[in-house]
Amino acid sequence: MDDLDRQIEQLKRCEILPEPEVRLLCLKARELLIEEGNVVYVDSPVTVCGDIHGQFFDMLELFFIGGWCPDTKYIFMGDFVDRGFYSVETFLLLLALKVRYPDRMTLIRGNHESRQITQVYGFYDECTRKYGSATVWRYCCDVFDYLALGALVDGRIFCVHGGLSPSIQYLDTIRAIDRKMEVPHDGGMCDLLWSDPDDIAGWGLSPRGAGFLFGADVVRTFCHSNDVDLIARAHQLAMEGYKLMFEKRIVTVWSAPNYCYRCGNVASIMSLHENLDQEYKIFTHAAIESYSVPAKRPPAEYFL
Amino acid sequence: MFPPPSRPPFPSHSAPIDQDTATRSTDTDALHARLSASRLSYFPDPFVESFVLRAQGVPNRPALINVGTWLRGRSVDALVKGFVQRVGEGGKVQVLSLGAGSDTRFWRISSTPMGGKIARWVEVDFPEVTSSKARAIWKHAQLKGALGVCALTGGGTGVRGEKYALLPADLRLSPEKTLGALLTPANDTDALLSPTLPTLVLLECVLPYLPLREGETVLRWAGERFGKVAVVLYEMFGLGDAFGKVMRENLAVRGVQIPGTVASLDALNERFQRAGFEGQALTLRDIRTHYVPPAENERVAKLELMDEYEELDLVLGHYAVAWGSKGVTGWGMSRAEEEI
Repeated sequence: MDDLDRQIEQLKRCEILPEPEVRLLCLKARELLIEEGNVVYVDSPVTVCGDIHGQFFDMLELFFIGGWCPDTKYIFMGDFVDRGFYSVETFLLLLALKVRYPDRMTLIRGNHESRQITQVYGFYDECTRKYGSATVWRYCCDVFDYLALGALVDGRIFCVHGGLSPSIQYLDTIRAIDRKMEVPHDGGMCDLLWSDPDDIAGWGLSPRGAGFLFGADVVRTFCHSNDVDLIARAHQLAMEGYKLMFEKRIVTVWSAPNYCYRCGNVASIMSLHENLDQEYKIFTHAAIESYSVPAKRPPAEYFL
Repeated sequence: MFPPPSRPPFPSHSAPIDQDTATRSTDTDALHARLSASRLSYFPDPFVESFVLRAQGVPNRPALINVGTWLRGRSVDALVKGFVQRVGEGGKVQVLSLGAGSDTRFWRISSTPMGGKIARWVEVDFPEVTSSKARAIWKHAQLKGALGVCALTGGGTGVRGEKYALLPADLRLSPEKTLGALLTPANDTDALLSPTLPTLVLLECVLPYLPLREGETVLRWAGERFGKVAVVLYEMFGLGDAFGKVMRENLAVRGVQIPGTVASLDALNERFQRAGFEGQALTLRDIRTHYVPPAENERVAKLELMDEYEELDLVLGHYAVAWGSKGVTGWGMSRAEEEI
């Protein structure tokens, strides 16, 4: 444990771990995750977080307003990596906390926890830049395959990265998925990680090229069929940090303030109290921007 | 309690960058973005690579930047081609591109039958920019060949061809003194631009870098100088929100100031009106949704993985293509179904 506590302290300072330590951490994490169901049962109180996308210093802001783990119990709904400058440190810190406090930290897979997507959106490049090879990226991707697909808080609040799937009417269908693989291009597992709610009736094609759009009627039916009050999901930028839709049956929680160091949005986390009352805590991006963006690279691109 | 994080030792930003150098560096951004969009087949441009130093070492841009570059390129192209075809009415037109940077539009249009309708194409930019453009033109037969009989001018800061001219100037100075003098040199009775031919003035991402008043002066000068005149603008706007605040901060880090942006699409039109033009403006977001044929949107959607539309819409919603005209009718951007 001493070793793990030391690693957590190191990662909190935004310092990467040596490759052999990453390997062991990832192996330990896999041993834990393999025992978790596709839908993890979590008791309230718990704090639910959305996309982080490698914005390490903004995640420290998150812990500052949400409380440190293990004092606060967390569910992170995926998209830990890609786009930000510190995907390695972000994911390893969350993973180390998971291994150190397995019952106080739940990690759900996002669509960016994938070999294909991370090769496009930055995590792969960041790993090879920081370690000189793709080995750490491979270790992390092997962990991605074991991450849970959802969580259920007190049996009433279903947490998932993206949304619903036309091939999944019941939570039991999710429980039956063999999840330990790369995110497929279609099917129920893919949809859970890729879909978005939209002001349509029924199902629609997603402009993202994966998953579906789903309307209020779909959400109403799913909540009724599964005796669920609320679907908490992430996956879409919400300028105000969160967005409730469909008679408050679904909420988007977004936890990457000033997304991509460009969007100017605020972020939020959703604290669920014992009675499942929702409290949205809003936070903004880390104070000294220039410290959290490497100077060698333009902070964000525009059309000029 | 959570311990305060110690920050990693990144080098602090180097000494304040000279603002003019920073502004000129934005052309390199635009050039590399066009190279990327061309390579990836968003917006094929056979000439762009000739203007890029060591093009092979230039990485492609993120998908969001490629999409924006494609929308900007095709929108301005549609307006320029529409002007050449419709306003020329069999006759000829002239184009004045201010802050032209490394734009390749002259070569792209010259290589089509439309090239025959161009009487004159004049490009103006900072001398530092025109010098490198002149060098690139001189180095590449493909570029130089399109100019016909041509010569370097102004000690290598300009180029003069049969139709094409590249001129150095600082657009912040009085247009009458700088542009006026360049276009009608005292010792040259053969003025570069005719006051009577239909004239198209291009200002792609130029006015934001000028103080508001100087920008309006340039527009008013163009309106007074030519009888039949149209202006095409492309620029960021509406920066009063959180996105805009971050954009100003991010650009300021690299020394780029944008004092000449306006608050809204309406404000773009009002600026046109004050300068004597009748104006219209659309956001790149509107253009993508309503002005690009569905088949073209589908083609582009297949080029690269684009997985986030909220961010794309947010960014595209802060850029506008605007056009204004004076003495010119039947010209503008058309909806997808009637596109030329």
